[in-house]
Amino acid sequence: MTKSSILSGTDLSKKYGDLEVVKGVSLAIDAGEFVCLVGKSGCGKTTLLSILSGLEKPTKGQVILNGKEIDGASEDELALFRRENVGFIFQSFNLIPTLSAWENVALPLFPIKMTNEERRKRAKELLDKMELGHRIEHLPSTLSGGEKQRVAIARALVNHPKIIFADEPTGNLDSSTGEAIMDILNKLHKDEGVAILMVTHEVELAKAANRLIRMKDGEVVS
Amino acid sequence: MNLRYMMKELYYQRRRTLTSILGLSIGISLLIILNSLSLAYRQAAHVPLKEIGADITVQRSGDVPKELTGAVFPCSAVTIRKEEVEKIQKLPGVRGIGTGLLLWVFDPSRAWIVLGIEKENSIGPSLLRSSVTEGRFLEDGKPEALVEQAYARQFGIKVGDTVSVTDKKFPVVGFVDASRSAKIAVANVYLPLKEAEDLAVSSKDLQSVSQYAPGDVNLLFVKVDQEKITGLASEMKGILGNKVTVATPDSFLKLLGSLFALSDKFTLAASLIAIIVAVLIAFKTMAGNIAERAREIGVLKAVGWTNRNVVSQLISESVIQCFMAGILGLVIALVAAYGLSFMKVNIPIPWEMSPTPHFLPGGGDQIFKTLRLPVHVPWNLAFFAILLSIMIGGMTGGLLGRHISKIKPSEVLRHD
Repeated sequence: MTKSSILSGTDLSKKYGDLEVVKGVSLAIDAGEFVCLVGKSGCGKTTLLSILSGLEKPTKGQVILNGKEIDGASEDELALFRRENVGFIFQSFNLIPTLSAWENVALPLFPIKMTNEERRKRAKELLDKMELGHRIEHLPSTLSGGEKQRVAIARALVNHPKIIFADEPTGNLDSSTGEAIMDILNKLHKDEGVAILMVTHEVELAKAANRLIRMKDGEVVS
Repeated sequence: MNLRYMMKELYYQRRRTLTSILGLSIGISLLIILNSLSLAYRQAAHVPLKEIGADITVQRSGDVPKELTGAVFPCSAVTIRKEEVEKIQKLPGVRGIGTGLLLWVFDPSRAWIVLGIEKENSIGPSLLRSSVTEGRFLEDGKPEALVEQAYARQFGIKVGDTVSVTDKKFPVVGFVDASRSAKIAVANVYLPLKEAEDLAVSSKDLQSVSQYAPGDVNLLFVKVDQEKITGLASEMKGILGNKVTVATPDSFLKLLGSLFALSDKFTLAASLIAIIVAVLIAFKTMAGNIAERAREIGVLKAVGWTNRNVVSQLISESVIQCFMAGILGLVIALVAAYGLSFMKVNIPIPWEMSPTPHFLPGGGDQIFKTLRLPVHVPWNLAFFAILLSIMIGGMTGGLLGRHISKIKPSEVLRHD
């Protein structure tokens, strides 16, 4: 891990029974870097992203995220660490259906002691950035796919993360909406200096990244 | 715990919320109704005695009179000595005693049920003072009679007439409607206790069966501390011997024979079943609800909610749902209690307490006190039911929350 690395994984393996889905992977991501992890379905990229983000523990290996070794941390330590350092964007948005756009954005702030006005203000700032300032009270069911993903991006940013993990963020969107989302991610990493690790199986989308990591059968091939 | 999130979850997932609330409310209402019914039967069992101002009545059985002429004691009510009454009076927990002297009087032309009553006592048959329908109540020191209204109508007796009991004549000063009060201590003619004593003292047939002296009685109406009823009943049996009949509210409850009246154990068992049903319903519906939200819980954990955050959120949702279920259950129970309060209950009067000679027409028939079942939901039962609902909510939310919070976000968010 270099001095500027925000994330590094060393010799990471993950086994489910006899099946080894990640095989001795080592990688590092610098602060503010936009990295794409590409590979075919089932090659282990989502598992690797889960390990690197602290959602899953590796069978073997070490993960250092923002200077903290996370592979040995407890569930709650990891949750708190994620709350302060990490943002997530998922393929199917994973918004809470009963909460409005701004409440979904503020979801990571709910366990933190602050007033609802403060949470709303912070969420609105981000939704304005996502050009959704007029939709803050709308429920996810009334938003389009692209709007939902922009709400999810705003949620990923609400805690000022050092790194965002995006798992197929355009997977459920049509191509033009997908491109718009990629533009937002690009802008984020350039303007805000947020590191992004994005998993995708679409090589075309990955071209927007600073660096491409290819995976095949659980291993990094290039 | 985030209140906004909780309220929105409950509001927007109305089907889910209503299912949980309705399910649990059925169990809670069942618990309240069962206990209210049981309580109502218990209260109903108090009514026959309460109407006569007593908690316990005491009689002593004796031999059947050899000759049915003149004044005799019913075989279910023979002499209780003055000294025995005084002993009972002194028992701790006894608040007061009313007395009566019940006689069967066989004249050549008719048979009378005559009851000698005290003129002033808040316990016992002198309460008939409030049941006078015509004329007036008995006055001090006067040999006069009250006649039961239905009996007077049957035999064409009017206020101002004179009735002959054995060879003594009594002016009728009023009618009483005994059907308004208890079926205990009902008679055809009511005389001052002193006059009834004179009839008893002068009756050879009566004296031959059961020695009687002025001051003795054959009916006792005892007012006692409620919590001491059972204990005092035993003590009275100890004082008066084997042949005594001590009637308490429990005696009536046993005669009711209803499941609710059978025992505390039945109510307890039924309540436990209702609670278990309520817990199972709450657990099952909420387990289903929470399982549906596995992905949502995964998202919460992914964005930084700790297990404790998740559990406290789920507990708060569960407690609010169960609280609402408790309120709904209470409302259902109140409505049901109102409906059930129109139900009539027939409380059998033990044959020993029936004043009518059993060998006369209708004398062997079972007498009932009919009343509306006094069903109501006491506030402490309502409070307990609401508290129980909240506790079920806390427990269910806690157990299910702890279970679901162990979920790994990567497992539920894995494939989109």
